Order: sequence, then C-alpha cells, then structure tokens
Amino acid sequence: MPESAESNGTASAAVKAKPGRHREATLYQALAGAGAGDGRTLGELREAALNVFERSELPVWRRSGFWTTSFESLDFDSLQTSVTEQGVPEVVGRTLPDRPRAGRIVQSAGAIVDVQLDPALAERGVILCSLEQAAELHPDLFNAWYSRRLPIDRHKLEAANAAFWTGGAFLHVPAGLAVEHPFEIVYAIDRPGLAQYGRTLVVGGPGSDFKLHEYDLAEDFDGQSLHAGAFELYLQEGARCRLAQVQDWGKGEVFDVSTRFVQVGRDAYCHWLPSLLGGHLVRQHLELAVSEKGGDMAFRGIFFAEEDEHLDVFAADLHETGPSGGDVHWRGAAAGSSRASFEGLIQIDPGAQQTHTYLQIHTMMLSPKARIDAIPSVLVSSDDVSASHGGTVGELDEALIFYMQSRGLDRATAVRIIVEGFFEPLISQLADEPLQELIRAKVERKLASARDDIETYASSR
Amino acid sequence: MADLEIRDLHVRIEEREILRGVDLDISRGEIHALMGPNGSGKSTMANTLLGHPAYEITQGSITFKGEDITEAEPHERAKAGLFLAFQYPVSIPGVSVANFLRMAINAKREEPIQVKEFRTELQHAIELLDVDRAFTSRHLNDGFSGGEKKRAEILQMAMLKPDVAILDETDSGLDIDALRTVAEGVQKLHDEQGLGALIITHYQRILHYVKPEFVHILMDGRIVLEGGVELVERLEREGYDQIRQEVGAGVGAGDADA
Repeated sequence: MPESAESNGTASAAVKAKPGRHREATLYQALAGAGAGDGRTLGELREAALNVFERSELPVWRRSGFWTTSFESLDFDSLQTSVTEQGVPEVVGRTLPDRPRAGRIVQSAGAIVDVQLDPALAERGVILCSLEQAAELHPDLFNAWYSRRLPIDRHKLEAANAAFWTGGAFLHVPAGLAVEHPFEIVYAIDRPGLAQYGRTLVVGGPGSDFKLHEYDLAEDFDGQSLHAGAFELYLQEGARCRLAQVQDWGKGEVFDVSTRFVQVGRDAYCHWLPSLLGGHLVRQHLELAVSEKGGDMAFRGIFFAEEDEHLDVFAADLHETGPSGGDVHWRGAAAGSSRASFEGLIQIDPGAQQTHTYLQIHTMMLSPKARIDAIPSVLVSSDDVSASHGGTVGELDEALIFYMQSRGLDRATAVRIIVEGFFEPLISQLADEPLQELIRAKVERKLASARDDIETYASSR
Repeated sequence: MADLEIRDLHVRIEEREILRGVDLDISRGEIHALMGPNGSGKSTMANTLLGHPAYEITQGSITFKGEDITEAEPHERAKAGLFLAFQYPVSIPGVSVANFLRMAINAKREEPIQVKEFRTELQHAIELLDVDRAFTSRHLNDGFSGGEKKRAEILQMAMLKPDVAILDETDSGLDIDALRTVAEGVQKLHDEQGLGALIITHYQRILHYVKPEFVHILMDGRIVLEGGVELVERLEREGYDQIRQEVGAGVGAGDADA
C-alpha cells in the first residue's frame, strides 16, 4: 500500500478498508527505495519538485478508524518565505544548553543566521556550512549525497521543501575522525506567517564518530507558521552517530511536516532519539534504514502532546540487508484534548537474513479527552530473522499516586514523578547530561501546564 | 488527649459498609496491635487513616494532634506525621529509593535537607534495616522481592520519622529473618524516636519481636475485644472462632470481607 496524500488521487487500500480491518496491516509505508537524487542537477530537481507542488493540494493522511492528519487548516497562501538575516532568535539562546559544542548552525526563517565551527575540527576536514554553500563549494559531496534517499514528490509540502529551500544545513565528518562534543543544527521560527523549508544533509565518513543534536524551536506567537523539513543522514562504513532531536514549536500555531531518513552503512551504528514536545499539527515520517551488512541501530523516541496539539508519527525500522540489528523503543504521553498517533513499522527486506529487531511502544493518557493510537506492524520478507513488537497503554495509576501522597508528596508532584519515570528509561539513554536536563525540564513544563487537566481527570474517575 | 483519636468511624467502599463504629486512641511512644481475621476491616482501617479516596467515611471522625483530619488529603496527613507501611507496596519506575526519600523528606520541610545530613540519616537507617547500600540506588520497589519491599517500607519510616505509623500486615509474606529485621526495626524506632505504631496483623508471630502494650481485636468492622499483650497469647491458644463465639452478640457473620 503506497503512502498517499488523499489529494493526489491514489487512495490506498487502507483508506478504503473498513475500520479496524487492517489493524495488522502497514498503513504508512517505508520509503524503502532510491530518493530523487539520481544525477539530476539541483536546478533540475527544484524544477521537478515545483511541478509537483503546483499540481497538488495540501496533504491529508486519513487512516480509517484511527486518525486523520489534515493540513487543510493551514492558510498556506498567506504564508511568506524570508531570507532576510535578522539575527539569532531569542528562543535559541533561551533553550540551547550552555555547553561545549563542536559546531553550531542556526537557520531562522529562510536564512542561516549563525555558523560556528571549532577551528581545530575545520582544520581536520570537518565541513559545517549552509546547504546552499555546500552545493557551491563542495559539489562532489553534495551531488553524491543530496536527496539520495529522500523523495520530492509524495505531497505538496515535501515538494515545496525540495523546490524552495534556502539556507539549509550541511555537515560532513571526515573518515576516522572522532568528535567529542555535539554538532548542533537549529531551525527556529520567530514569528507567525512564515513558511520555513528546512533541509539538512549530513554525511559521516567511514569510521567517523560524532554526536548531532537538532533543535526545532519557535517563539510563542499568535498565528500560523509552517516548517516543512527534510533531513538525511548517511553513515558510511563503521561510522557511529548519536543523533537527537528536540522539537518544541511553542504555543504558536506551528505546522510541521517533515521527513527524516537515516542510512546506516556497513558495520555502522546510529542511536537516534527524537523528542517531539510540541507543535500545533505535526507529521513526522522517520526512517532508519540499515542498508549494509553489520549495521546496527537503536531507535528511541519520546513524544508528549498537550492541549489541542495533533501529532502523527511514522517510524520505520528498515533492514535492507543482513545480518543487521535493530531496537525500536518509543514512549508517548497525551494530555488535554490532544491527539497522537504512532505507527511503528519493522520492515525486513528479502535477503536481509540474520536480522534481529524489536519494536516497543508505550503510551500514557493524562486526560480523558486525549487520544493516542499506537499501531506496530511487522513486514518480514526473509526467513532467518527475528522481529517482534510489544507495548503498553497506560493511565495514571491511582495506587501509585496514593502511595506517594502517603509519603507527603502532593498529587501534582506524584503525577510528575510518574510521568518522568515513564520517560526516564529513554532520557537516561541519551548519555548527554545537558540534553537530558533540557528534555526533563520540557516534560516538567508540559506537565505543569496540563495540571488542571490531570486533576479533572483524577476526580472524574 | 491521644495524638490519634478515632471516634465512631464508619467507612464504606463501593456501597458496602466495612467499618461500623470504631473507636481507637494512639499516642506517640505507644505500640498497638490491631488483630483480626480476614475480612474484618483491617486494611480498610489502614487505608482510611491515610485518606485513600476509594474509602468513604460516612460517620465519625479522625483527629490527629488536635486537628480534625477526617477530610484531609493523604499528603497532608503524612506531613502532619502519619505514616502507612503498605501491605502491597507499589513500584515506582525511574525513581531511586534515595531520590524518593529525599523528595519525601523535603516535602515535609521548609528548606531542603543538606546532602551530608541526608547521607548520615540514610546510613543509620540502612544499618537499622540491615540492607545493602546499593539497595538505595535501585528504583523503588521495582523488581524487589517481598522482603525487600517490606524493608523499604520500614526504611522510609525510619527516614520520615512519623509520630504514628500504621503497619498494614507488614508481616505477610516474610520469611523469619526478614520478619525479625523488620520487627526489630520498628521496636528500635519506638525505643529511639518514640514512634507510636499501629501494627495490623492477622497472625501473632510479628508480635514475638515487637511488643505491643495495647491489643485490639477487630471483627466485622468493630473492635470487639481490647486488652494487653496477654490477649495475643489467648488468641494464639483459642483462635478467632472461639473469641467470636464469646463476644457473639451483635457481631454479624461475614458481611464484611474487605
């Protein structure tokens, strides 16, 4: 079943199926193939994307009986792009931990507003620059990797990104180089009415070892803005990367539709942890593909939706060859009248023998009006493999709350401890103290704002 | 006036009346045993005293240190100096014993406890309860054995220093060594800190290690017999059935089984 935007006329079988009938079926599909970068020049790719953009409507993903993710409420025509450099938005300084870093690149609206790179790393061949610059100054690298696994034509906003992106981030860590501190890539939206097309390309050379943290941040404003993102990371033979993402679009009406693809090469390893902590309407297509023998990955993720937020996550664990390893573990909570859907897919392609992978998704409801759907699926086309999934659906446990209250902790504190404890198994795996502190603080802030709601929930039961 | 005064307490859960007029006085420095057969209302008593929301008080009052706490939130009762050692302690994933203790201690104080003071007290409690130091860095009750859970309860009690502690069948599911450690821990807290305790139990064996001055026998939601430690011995000899027959009048059979 192809993943299809409702509007482009290729309604999938899942859309036609009766509610519940295909609970085990794959609703969303892994990209699983070559991207758009097939030797065409950047100009040609932009042109092709523009054509798709012009003939398509805003996307709707409708999963009968489960959820509908529609971008039709986005007033797209009133949005503007901006390449005027207006400095680093305050939210960036406020949010990013004060810590040693290998380098940092910040895009605000459509312009790169800050690039820093440790000179010692520059000397050893690390490249950190805007993607625009990379296309000009490093054409060999750019042409070899740009859009290699990312398509440009599945829906209007993906096409818009491919056609209109400006700025962008490019990181290349050369072969054999181990970097202690993280590289930081920041996409910030400082005002309403903006369309931001974020495009990131990262290549980890053979045997390189580095950390990459992406931040997606917005000021709290009134009104709509859009972030349409495309992210690709390629890890060459033996490369290791710890990739984390902190997304919090604040209180504004920020729409986010992003595709992220990570390819793990021969004997390479990636630990990837997106934390999706806020956005009015967010759709994330996340794919971690082990594409060569010996590749291994740990794919973790946390999400926390509140108020009227809508979050739609598709996370695929794709094994294109074996032996390979995988371990997918997500945890999500929902408060207010928020809506979160998570589809996790394990896909093991023909010939990917001796692949061993496991997917688990745990969810926690903090409000009677919130809803979380979690659908794990497994598509296996090899016989000598192990792949399975599991998960739990939880609510606040009154026995636990009473226990903690009997020790003198008030109800709000008890709830905070439970929810933090719920996320902690993943947060603790980040093995990065400043980032852990940041995510814990954000979870705590979300809980505080959901406090009344949680009280109401408790008294209604 | 006793520190904890329970007057004519009637308690209902899910439309069934479990406690039907209980009076009890407990003060600091006193050890009481509340004994009774299954279904007599012992656990209801424990949960009600700490304000569990599922238990509805339909009549009577609970006063603690002169304050009426009949309607108080559980955490307010705890802060006032009540403690409940649970029969079935729940596990708290992601929170270590030490961190949980620090949070609970700080909830009762204006200023957070100093690191050094906390360490000293924790060390003292660890020795008292005969647990391994590594115990305190494990997640509270997560994967603990029955004995470890009960020790963790008493460890918390030692650290939180309540005026009156209710121990809800702390002896159940313990082997003899764990039982002795736990019971001796309670006795020491009584001797050293002047702890007042209500030991709720079905059996006599915990009372071989911690000596109650007052014994109350609960049947069908009422206290039917009260006395000193000799009552424990009598119960050991005669069993609940004989006592039931003796006090017979006014005690309905088995319409309360919580």
